[in-house]
Amino acid sequence: MNLSRSDRRARLDRLAAEFALGTSPPRVRRRLAAIARRDRTVAAALSAWERRIAVLAAAVPAVTPPPRVWRAIVTRLGLDPEGASTASLGWWQHLGFWRAFATASFVAAVALGLAEWRRAPEGPAAPLVVVLAGPDAKAALIATATRGDRYLTLKTIGNAAPPPGKAFELWALPQSGVPQALGMIPPGGLVRVPLVNPVEETLSSIPALAVSLEPPGGSPTGKPTGPVLYSGAIERMY
Amino acid sequence: MSDDARVARAERGAQLAALLSRIALGDQRAFADLYRQAGAHLYGVALRIVRDGPLAEEILQEAFVSVWHHAGTYDAAKSQPITWLTSIVRNRCLDQLRKRDLDTVTLSRDAEDISPAWDAPSDGPTPIELLLAGADARAVRDCIDGLDAGPKQAIALAFFQGLSHGELAAHLREPLGTVKSWVRRGLERLRGCLDAAGVVR
Repeated sequence: MNLSRSDRRARLDRLAAEFALGTSPPRVRRRLAAIARRDRTVAAALSAWERRIAVLAAAVPAVTPPPRVWRAIVTRLGLDPEGASTASLGWWQHLGFWRAFATASFVAAVALGLAEWRRAPEGPAAPLVVVLAGPDAKAALIATATRGDRYLTLKTIGNAAPPPGKAFELWALPQSGVPQALGMIPPGGLVRVPLVNPVEETLSSIPALAVSLEPPGGSPTGKPTGPVLYSGAIERMY
Repeated sequence: MSDDARVARAERGAQLAALLSRIALGDQRAFADLYRQAGAHLYGVALRIVRDGPLAEEILQEAFVSVWHHAGTYDAAKSQPITWLTSIVRNRCLDQLRKRDLDTVTLSRDAEDISPAWDAPSDGPTPIELLLAGADARAVRDCIDGLDAGPKQAIALAFFQGLSHGELAAHLREPLGTVKSWVRRGLERLRGCLDAAGVVR
C-alpha cells in the first residue's frame, strides 16, 4: 500500500484506538500486539490509547464493596487478618520505613562504621559507600565499590551473621517498584558480591541497598521473602 | 486542569505506586491500604460492567489476589497505578462476559441505560476518586456527553460489554459500516476532548 506518512499515522492511530477499546477483530488484535513488541511507534500508539480508554472508567461511580470481599481475599491468600488490617507488621518491617531510614541512619552509622571501613584492607578510597544498619541504627555491614568494579565488597561490622540454615541476600532498592536481587552474601567478615555489570551501571538509579534473610539458595520468588534486616542509603563520592 | 490538581494527582499516583512496590515485598499492610484506597473504585467498575453483585465481588477478589502475586510486574514508567489496576479489573470482567451468551438478556436494556451509569453521582469521593475524579471525572463525563448519540452508545457498549464491531452492529441493529464509523468518529472526538482537558498523560 502506498500511503503518505500522515495517512499511515492516522491509520495506526485508528487501529490503536480500536485495539484499546477492544472492538478490533481478534486477528487484527493479535497482529497489532505482535508488531507492538518490536515496533516502538506502534507500541507508543497503543499505550497512549490504552491510557485514554482507561480514564473512561474514572467517570464510573465508586461503590463500597461488602466487607466479606476483603475477608475472602485475606482467607484465600492465607494472610494474617490482623496484619492485613491495621497495625500488623512492625513499623520497622515496612519498605517505606527502610527507604527513609536508609538516609537517616547513614549519618548516625557513618560515625560508627566509616572509621572501621577506612581500616579495611581494600586499599584505595572507595567512591561508593553504603552503611547497612538495622532498626537500632547500628551498622551491621558496609558495602563499598569503586567505579568500574563488577563486585561490591562487604565488610561485616560487629557480629551480623545469618542463623544456621539461612543466608543474607543483597537487594537494590529503587525509588519505586520492585527490589532487584544483587546476589547472596557469602559468609565471612570481608566478602565480595559479584555483579554482572560495572557498579555505576548496576546502581545508577538506585538510592539504597537492603539485606534480607533468605533460604541458602536465595529468595525462591525473586523478591525478598524473609524479613529485611538491614538497609542503607548509597553515598556516592564521585 | 490546574497545576495544583496536577501535582496532587501525581503525588497520589506516586503513593499508590509506592504501595504496589511494598506489596511486591509481601507487605500486608500496604495491601490493605491499597484495598481501602482503590477497592470501591474498582468494585464500581466491575459492578457497572458485569451488573451482578456476587460476580463483581468475585472479580474484585480475584483481581486483588492477582495484585498480591503480581504487584512486582507493575511498571511505573508505562502506566499510572490506577490505570493498571482498572485494566486488570476490566479485562477480568470482559472475560466473564465473553463466557456468557452475548446476545441474551444481559445486553437487552443496555442501549437505554448507558447514560445514567456514567452520569450518576457517587455517594461521596473516595481517595481514588479524588485521584482521578473531581476535575478529572467531570472532564471525562463532559467529553462523553459531548459525543453524538450513536457514537456514545457504540463506545459505551464496547467499553462496558467488550463488544466487537460485528457484535455492536448486531446489537444496535445498524449496518456494520455505520457502527464502525460511529466508533471511529467517537474515538477521534474523545481523543481531542480528553487530550485538551489534560486528563490523560
